[in-house]
Amino acid sequence: MVDERVYEMFREIGRDMYVHNLVSSHGGNISVRFGDRIIIKRRGAMLGRLKPHDLIETGLEKNDSGVALASTELIVHRAIYKATPALAVVHAHPRRAISLSLSRDEIIPIDNEGSYLLKKIPVVEVEFASGTPQMANAIADGLRTYKIVMMRGHGSFATGQTLDEAFQWTDALEEVCEIIMYAHAMNEQMIEYRKHSDSYKNW
Amino acid sequence: MKGWMGKVLNVDLGSGAITTTPLDMDMATQFIGGRGLGARLLWDLVGPEVEPFSPDNVLIFAAGPLTATGYQTSNRFSVSTKSPLTGTVLDANSGGWWGMHFKRAGYDAMIVRGRAEKPVYIEIKEDGVTIHDATHLWGRTVSETSEALGQNKNKRSVLCIGPAGENRVLFAAIMNDATRAAARGGPGAVMGSKNLKAIVVEGKTRVEMDDKERFRFVQYESTKMLKANPVTSQAFPEFGTSVVMNIINAIGALPTRNFQQSYFEHADDISGETITEDILIKNTACWACPIACTRLTKTSKGEGEGPEYESAWSFGAACGIHDLEAITNTNYICNDLGMDTISAGSTIACAMELTERGLLDSDLRFGRADLLEQTVEDIGYRRGLGDELAEGSARLAAKYGAPELSMSVKKLEMPAYDPRGMQGQGLLFATSNRGGCHMRGNMLGSEVLGLPKLIDRLQVQGKAGYVILHQHSAAVLDSIVACKFANIAIAEEYFARALTALTGVSYPTGDLIKAGERIWNLERLYNLREGFTRDDDNLPPRLLNEPATGGSEGQVSHLGPMLEEYYRARGWDANGVPKRAKLEDLGLAELALEVV
Repeated sequence: MVDERVYEMFREIGRDMYVHNLVSSHGGNISVRFGDRIIIKRRGAMLGRLKPHDLIETGLEKNDSGVALASTELIVHRAIYKATPALAVVHAHPRRAISLSLSRDEIIPIDNEGSYLLKKIPVVEVEFASGTPQMANAIADGLRTYKIVMMRGHGSFATGQTLDEAFQWTDALEEVCEIIMYAHAMNEQMIEYRKHSDSYKNW
Repeated sequence: MKGWMGKVLNVDLGSGAITTTPLDMDMATQFIGGRGLGARLLWDLVGPEVEPFSPDNVLIFAAGPLTATGYQTSNRFSVSTKSPLTGTVLDANSGGWWGMHFKRAGYDAMIVRGRAEKPVYIEIKEDGVTIHDATHLWGRTVSETSEALGQNKNKRSVLCIGPAGENRVLFAAIMNDATRAAARGGPGAVMGSKNLKAIVVEGKTRVEMDDKERFRFVQYESTKMLKANPVTSQAFPEFGTSVVMNIINAIGALPTRNFQQSYFEHADDISGETITEDILIKNTACWACPIACTRLTKTSKGEGEGPEYESAWSFGAACGIHDLEAITNTNYICNDLGMDTISAGSTIACAMELTERGLLDSDLRFGRADLLEQTVEDIGYRRGLGDELAEGSARLAAKYGAPELSMSVKKLEMPAYDPRGMQGQGLLFATSNRGGCHMRGNMLGSEVLGLPKLIDRLQVQGKAGYVILHQHSAAVLDSIVACKFANIAIAEEYFARALTALTGVSYPTGDLIKAGERIWNLERLYNLREGFTRDDDNLPPRLLNEPATGGSEGQVSHLGPMLEEYYRARGWDANGVPKRAKLEDLGLAELALEVV
């Protein structure tokens, strides 16, 4: 039985992700880890309109009937929880970040907030980029070192102690990419204002 | 060798032998340093047949790879031993300058064995280690001893015990740089049992770094975090750790009168704001610390350090006292005699309740500020009732027929957070490997301050995961070794990157936290080997049955369901024993053969 407070957290974060254009109507998924259990969004449920029955509980290691209802990306969430200390995972389809992931292997913020919070976001690529073990391993491996990674052409996976922390990294990433795009579109010489900015590449 | 110095110093006080052995690098990469390295060495050296005051018990002083590098708060070291208060694995941790000088003398750790025939002190310099007679220092206070041995934080650091350690007060502290304390669980009493009065260090050898440029960049980014965080950049420097006094009281989680209530009507009188307004001279800092939470204060009787939050609480709210002058003077005495202020205050609070209930014949009553200073002196010198209080609250309460009045876990007195108002904190206390303690993980950030994000403090479901993460994180910080206050602003990710740049060993954040899990499980195995069971993962019945007051009115701790979730989440069985799969995953299966 999922605590009412937990449902409220899912509902609010899911709604905010949709309102912020981080997912389309039925895209993306979010989960939390409670010990050896995972609570994850139901497959096909709309993040912007989550109901209590849209929260599916299943095992971190073992399958049970919950896997028949859980998000198709359950395999990725499990891999992340096993490889990292994360207690929450947010997967989104941020449009600007996806666009930038098509042309670069890492996204390095140029704005102050993005530099402060994220430093660098690696872009990973696999042949089958939806719900496969190959994808799960690539994402989980990236998240051992970074709190948010981009799957090229697909979307972001972010970790946190809570859903709102993972959501923060996701929303910050999209802001980072929007600013990069604006700056690029302006086509003016950037005045570097950050000390040691070259070092972000090595983060 | 980068990050680590590569050497372990061995001193046998019985024979006088002094040797140096190479640091086992496999052990160091797995258990890092500090507390982790100490626990791993203790596992081999001190089995269940060894009594805490036996010459066969050891004291392990260990720096971490980060110690002495200049990274924020990289001043700390840990002391590991078998605790005379709890009988558990113990490490206590301290800041100041001693850890930095010790590592710069060329060592990662020092193992002290045996017992000297007469009082001695050890002097460690880069060109040699010597054992000196300390007969003339025996009986002298911490400040007297520090001065006599030439305490000079920039050149020469003195670590010592006071009369409490000599008299084997079970919660005696090891003090360094005059006022810093490795106190919980009584390592000072073990040092006293060895007739070891002090350890003096001088060292200037810099720690080598694998990638200095990258290390400095991580340090630079960490500075941004500390500056941007209002707790580390404003609240702690201005008000000290007691800045949380009014916050904790407002939510009804400030244990009052031996945890009979969880709201103290006079909390503001002992708060960080009042300390700053009434007695603060200035704030000071340990080496390489930009936070500077330490309080240099003055009263009508003199100047000194403190009180920190826990001390202001233990001699304050826990005893129903709001006389800041008396609390501060008592804190000064504790520092000079070398005692843990949490256990001292909480044991006095226990005696006050025993007295008020007619079980103990004494003058101690809640609110009797006039008796505080004399009582802690009596404890330190084991005079009169003080001799009984020197055994800690669990033994005291049991002696007078009311063991339930000891507010302790595994005989270690709990600190200043009421588990009824912070559900996760209760689980944390109950499962802490060294007993009731907030430094083996702390839910203050998650449940109260919103660091990194606020979670519902009264929620039960899912709390085990947070507690476990905080426990692993604390084990890492105690092993690298850094101050947990830095972790308020600097996430584990930064420490992992600093460690990687420093040592050249790859420590992704997840792997670093897993090292914390390895340390935690090894400590658990140690306690199981000592005979501890699931029954010891408990809280005093008061917290499970008697409702809290104030902002948590009506709440009790829901430890049962949280503990079940905790064991499952840890991969332990229903008795709290790590399962084989978990031990294999952590590389502990072979070690655990004699326990599991």
